Amino acid sequence: MKVIFGLALVLGLLVIIPSIENALAAGDEPGEYLDRRVEIWGLFYRLMIVAFTVGTVVSGLIVWLVLRFRESNPKAKPTEYEADGKW
Amino acid sequence: MVSGNMSGNHSTWPEWVYVGVVVALLCYVGAEAWNIERIVEHVPADAEIIKVTGQQWLWTFEHEDGTKEIGELHLEKGKAYKFEITSKDVVHSFNIHDYVVLLDAVPGRINTVWFSPNEAGEFPIQCREYCGLIHYNMRGTLYVENGA
Repeated sequence: MKVIFGLALVLGLLVIIPSIENALAAGDEPGEYLDRRVEIWGLFYRLMIVAFTVGTVVSGLIVWLVLRFRESNPKAKPTEYEADGKW
Repeated sequence: MVSGNMSGNHSTWPEWVYVGVVVALLCYVGAEAWNIERIVEHVPADAEIIKVTGQQWLWTFEHEDGTKEIGELHLEKGKAYKFEITSKDVVHSFNIHDYVVLLDAVPGRINTVWFSPNEAGEFPIQCREYCGLIHYNMRGTLYVENGA
């Protein structure tokens, strides 16, 4: 558990610190010519990929859970509570 | 009722992985959006300022040299322009759809947005905030011309 938490913290810091530095440093320099269409629609499509991927994983997991743990599944086993009749 | 000791017996690593993935995705989404906003809002030093005024129900444009245009805006391809947008009456919203320019025109306030047209042609300008009876026809045209 500590390893996972530590890893998440380190990876988070690796992203967050450069982002903050980048954002603060940029305020001093003049902007560059760019195509708003490319930047904004590119951002939109990247975030849509994230949204649809999350949606697919979450809904897929729910469908799998419902099918796998339904009472009528041949692989289904009673839980400890159900087997012992203790609640 | 579930006995107390059961909650401590099962493995919790899937939950922590799930939490980690969610946090990582939120960080990614936030960082990406923030970064693009920063890049897009960063005005080039040589951008020409165009004063844009919305009023029921037309757009007025004033160039740096004092030239004024009503309902039409003539710009040069490849140059950068910074719009200083305000309104004389109610809230409007200045939109050049084809160039993804969209910003509210608010009375008593100057909002800024910049862009650099990289394609010659005619592009519609439209108010995107319902501003009264003739809102639907509060339009203009952006003419992007090849520079000299």
